[in-house]
Amino acid sequence: MGTNDQKRSLPHGLRLVALAGAAALTLTAGLATPLDPASRQARAADVGKKVLTVAVAQSVDSLSPFLAVRLLSTSIHRLMYEYLTNYDPKDNHAIPGLATKWEPSTDKLTWTYTIRDNSTWSDGEQATAEDAAWTFNKMMTDTGAATANGSYVGNFRKVTAPSPTKLVIELKKPQATMAALDVPIVPKHVWEKVSDFSEFNNDKTFPVVGNGPFVLSGYKADSYVRLKANKSFWRGSPKFDELVFRYYKDQDAAVSALRKGEVSFVAGSPSLTPAQAESLKGADDIQVNDAPGRRFYALATNPGARAKNGEKFGDGHPSLLDQRVRNALFRAVDREAIIDKVFRGHAVEGEGYIPPRFQDYFWKPSADRKLAYDPAAAARLLDQAGYKKNGDGKRVGKDGKPITYRVLCHATDPNDKAVGKYLQEWWGDLGIGVQLNCLDNVTDPWLAGKYDLAFDGWSVNPDPDFVLSIHTCGALPATPKDTGATDNFICDKKYDELYARQLTEYDPAKRADIVKQMESRLYDLGYMNVMAYPNAVEAFRTDQIKSITTMPAKAGNIYGQDGYWSWWSAVPADSGGSSDNASSTGVVVGIVAGVVILGGLGAFAAMRRRATAEERE
Amino acid sequence: MTTTTGTVPSPRALARQRRRASVARFWRQYRAERAGLYGLAVLTLCALLALFAPLFVGSDVSSVTDAPGRPMQSPSAEFPLGTDQFGRDLLGLVVWGSRVSLLVGLLAAVLSVAIGTLIGVTAGHFKGWYATVMMRITDWFLVMPTLVLAIALATVMSRSLTTTVVAIGVTTWPTTARLVRAQTLAVETRPYIERAQALGGGHWHIMSRHVLPNVMPLVLAQTTLIISSAILAEATLAFLGLGDPTVVSWGGLLQDAREAGAVSAGDWWYLVPPGIAIAVVALAFTLCGRAVESVLNPRLGVSR
Amino acid sequence: MTADATPALVEDKQRTAAGPRVRKGSAYPRYLAGKLAGAAVSLLAVLVTSFFLFRLIPGDPVKTMTGGRQVSAEQLAAYREELGLGLPLWRQFTDYCGKALTGDFGTSYQFRAPVVDKITEALPNTLLLTGTAFVLYTALGIFLGTRSAWRHGRLGDRFHTGLALTLYSIPSFWLGLLLITVLSVGIGPLPGMFPTGGMESGDEEGFAHVLDVAHHLVLPVVTLVAVEYGQTLLVTRSALLDEMGSDYLTTARAKGLRDDLVRRRHAVPNALLPTVTLIFINLGRTVAGVILVETVFSWPGLGGLFYQALSVPDLPLVQGLFFEFATAVILMNTLADLVYPLLDPRVAR
Repeated sequence: MGTNDQKRSLPHGLRLVALAGAAALTLTAGLATPLDPASRQARAADVGKKVLTVAVAQSVDSLSPFLAVRLLSTSIHRLMYEYLTNYDPKDNHAIPGLATKWEPSTDKLTWTYTIRDNSTWSDGEQATAEDAAWTFNKMMTDTGAATANGSYVGNFRKVTAPSPTKLVIELKKPQATMAALDVPIVPKHVWEKVSDFSEFNNDKTFPVVGNGPFVLSGYKADSYVRLKANKSFWRGSPKFDELVFRYYKDQDAAVSALRKGEVSFVAGSPSLTPAQAESLKGADDIQVNDAPGRRFYALATNPGARAKNGEKFGDGHPSLLDQRVRNALFRAVDREAIIDKVFRGHAVEGEGYIPPRFQDYFWKPSADRKLAYDPAAAARLLDQAGYKKNGDGKRVGKDGKPITYRVLCHATDPNDKAVGKYLQEWWGDLGIGVQLNCLDNVTDPWLAGKYDLAFDGWSVNPDPDFVLSIHTCGALPATPKDTGATDNFICDKKYDELYARQLTEYDPAKRADIVKQMESRLYDLGYMNVMAYPNAVEAFRTDQIKSITTMPAKAGNIYGQDGYWSWWSAVPADSGGSSDNASSTGVVVGIVAGVVILGGLGAFAAMRRRATAEERE
Repeated sequence: MTTTTGTVPSPRALARQRRRASVARFWRQYRAERAGLYGLAVLTLCALLALFAPLFVGSDVSSVTDAPGRPMQSPSAEFPLGTDQFGRDLLGLVVWGSRVSLLVGLLAAVLSVAIGTLIGVTAGHFKGWYATVMMRITDWFLVMPTLVLAIALATVMSRSLTTTVVAIGVTTWPTTARLVRAQTLAVETRPYIERAQALGGGHWHIMSRHVLPNVMPLVLAQTTLIISSAILAEATLAFLGLGDPTVVSWGGLLQDAREAGAVSAGDWWYLVPPGIAIAVVALAFTLCGRAVESVLNPRLGVSR
Repeated sequence: MTADATPALVEDKQRTAAGPRVRKGSAYPRYLAGKLAGAAVSLLAVLVTSFFLFRLIPGDPVKTMTGGRQVSAEQLAAYREELGLGLPLWRQFTDYCGKALTGDFGTSYQFRAPVVDKITEALPNTLLLTGTAFVLYTALGIFLGTRSAWRHGRLGDRFHTGLALTLYSIPSFWLGLLLITVLSVGIGPLPGMFPTGGMESGDEEGFAHVLDVAHHLVLPVVTLVAVEYGQTLLVTRSALLDEMGSDYLTTARAKGLRDDLVRRRHAVPNALLPTVTLIFINLGRTVAGVILVETVFSWPGLGGLFYQALSVPDLPLVQGLFFEFATAVILMNTLADLVYPLLDPRVAR
């Protein structure tokens, strides 16, 4: 009968497991509910610890400043390490960071930085010019350390630290961007122990020694990044005691978390959707910050991919080499409709290459040169260029085949897909087919030149050098097999001359003037057609954050600033009664839910017993 | 049809008659399955709706430039289910989306079952190394996590409806192959197969004339069940952003809703209808499949 | 995984019908060896697939790795060397296999960390989620399935069968989104009771941390249980119904044993055995199928990692994860094969 016993025990055991499981679930729900974040916030307030929680979605690629390239990671490095210079939150001009002063020699080839003497690493050591020199030298000599920021030191001849407060950088040729070296300076005495820079991720021992406004105190991949305020930060301690970046891979989840007060701030990636912004505007204690963005959103045209050695590759449509065709296509794009329908007002109509937010460099075409929306004019231009409609109403290329352009789009960007749908219809009316090619990873066809048009966009830095450099001939890949820094293979002599001139122009106003000429040239070429400057739409809880610095101070954004201003300046709100109310509601609801579930289970069990009894008779 | 009235019916006519009788018997038994009937009714309705969708909603329902409403309007008399982020009528889109969702589900299931039947019948018929190799491949596909493999395939290929169909079809056939093979083995033990072989029937003759008709009912049940999961798989792939963004399907609508931020904005009218549509159709196919199965093989007792 | 549900159900019936047959106790070692060999062959096949399938993703890994950044020619060459891209394909393959068998899948392109580290980092999270859900849905499925079979044809049975069928026709991600909307965000007077995503708040210690994780666990687990339990229920129910028609039950009843006792002592244990196979297979599948739920609930597990790796594409990580998922299924299938004959009371031992 031994087997019989075993048999009998099986269902009983399972039923017990089921009940235990259900009970555990109820218990969890019931017990955990009083612990909802609102009450945690309140409790945290009791012990006086103010925590600022920011919802993020992007995974950290690396916490080593030598490897990190993603926005979140580099923003965290801004908080952890002081850079030589910083940008003024009001108007983006360079201001002191670790360096208090910087000046070029008369031959423009030697820059001398004065390093401040009141910045200490979080382990008590003094931060000196020696640390800075070591950081740059490491990047110049070790390819592993050059992974992320190697381009900054490409033009450096020699970096030395003659004294703890003096850093000297010698250049190969003049460079106007020396007050914009966005390189985290790391403590030499900690980092010189690292053996392999290409594999060291700086995420094993905490806290991580730094000298920025915050000290990294904890990290768990795709769960959270935790930073503690650096009370001895030279510019003054942050007002919050702790800053936590918490992961919500789903943007809607992040927005919901903000509504509930689980997080204090949501930026969205790259921005909240119009529907989310609309719904948050009506919510209590939430402020939506709709700031002019630093990005441009453009339609790039393949100008025939080529390498520096003159070799051509890729398979861009030949008709696009005709400027009339490029202009016609852009004249059939209704930018106002894109702003109105796709961005629902959370963007500004595109003009020149650099967004108006950077007023010094902003340029726009005069009314008579503007490629305004005019489908009829576009059709005429195409007719002139010799691309006439055939019997089916399709325009045919020189090869006699109907034209269909392949448009490369980012599968992860809803705007690309939305604008793509409009393009299909607008250009369809012109008689041109559109094949929307949405990929997770567009890099590959892009670098191979296997596209006709592509959705393109860059975040522009206060110093526009980088976004300008990616359209020079020098950025083309050396051979078709290599990777160049080029954005979409533009190579124009006139543009390149202007680029070289601005790089050696140390007078800001004159340099800005040259930059505007470059933008004008780019506009006429018609390879980069800027459709919009999307706003940065973000939101925060006013019952948790009393005030926060935007950048630029007037109508600026909060997340992804050039500098640590937002989180450093954020002032905690006095926790009002509202969160207490919320927490007690949470407790009540939790208990009610628990009781209901338990009651249900009880009733269920009772019914079961009765039923069994019935069957027994 | 005409020969059945003759005094000496030809063998072919006899076979046809027998088949017609068995279809009639099948239908009689199927009618007794109430859940199956509900499923069938729902499916008929959906099929009609999808077929005649151009009559009520018109193909311009998916046009963004001619969108009739403002973005994300809540339900009203004009738009019973509200509008999407382009201002398109959501009711129209859900109806229009049924075409793609049903088509993909159907094609993927047919592809899957076709592969499965081909491999199953041949592996059952030809013994020896061929069967061993085929069954090894089948087993190997069985251990592949279906969704993971489908996602991988959809990533490897370009985004289009064909990709979705292939990704689903190629990953779901092994169960069919095993079922069909088992059935084939059972059929081939019957004496008349031996007789056919003795009379000089080749492999092709035996497989197409004797084995296939006998496994068809099983294949039918299997198809119905697989359509249900294919529709879910299509929605899943579209939701993960692996579908063709330019066509309207139910999964695609859910993905659009999520991307537009409908969940946190509380725009339930955008989120709920496509999900319900998926669930109802998938359920209907499952019910039909179970009914067919229980008619063919009452011992399984799935819906007794 | 909802998408898998129906084929798995069908497959299970077939498995039950074909079932592993072990005639005598002494045959078990041989049976065991056969099954283990089969598993080894499957593992090898998975290894081959993971290498070749993802080579189909067009493009040059080095370009993907450095996309958008300015990289010097020396750096590119160094990367190429590091990844062994200069070697012929067969050498790359043998290197890959050799390393993979020692558990080394290379370094992730995007995280610059060993793939194994990334996987071991995320694996416990996935196991916590799927393990909890698995215990609950299996228990619930068997419990309700047994009840349904006992009272088959009655209202309760029809209700539970219908509910189970409906729930497994629902896309899991959609259910997750609805649960977030209703229970996390809150609707109307109902406040949100559960976190909207993630696994922990990141600022709790000790027991509070455990509760915090449990709190985060509720909604994803409920979602998984809801879409998964139906299958167990239906299989248990039909197996039991089959069993109840058997002769020995009639005999037992004829001997005067009470119905309830007959069922509990004889029918249920026998009927549960085929379910065991399903349970193991389900566990393997759930680990792989958790991608959607992890995506919807921002759970920091393997599913999210896989999706992220595919979109780069982070080849080493994709390969490692794919291998991991398939191994989970193979492992569970093999376990099922091994356990089945041990439990089967019809096998003389």
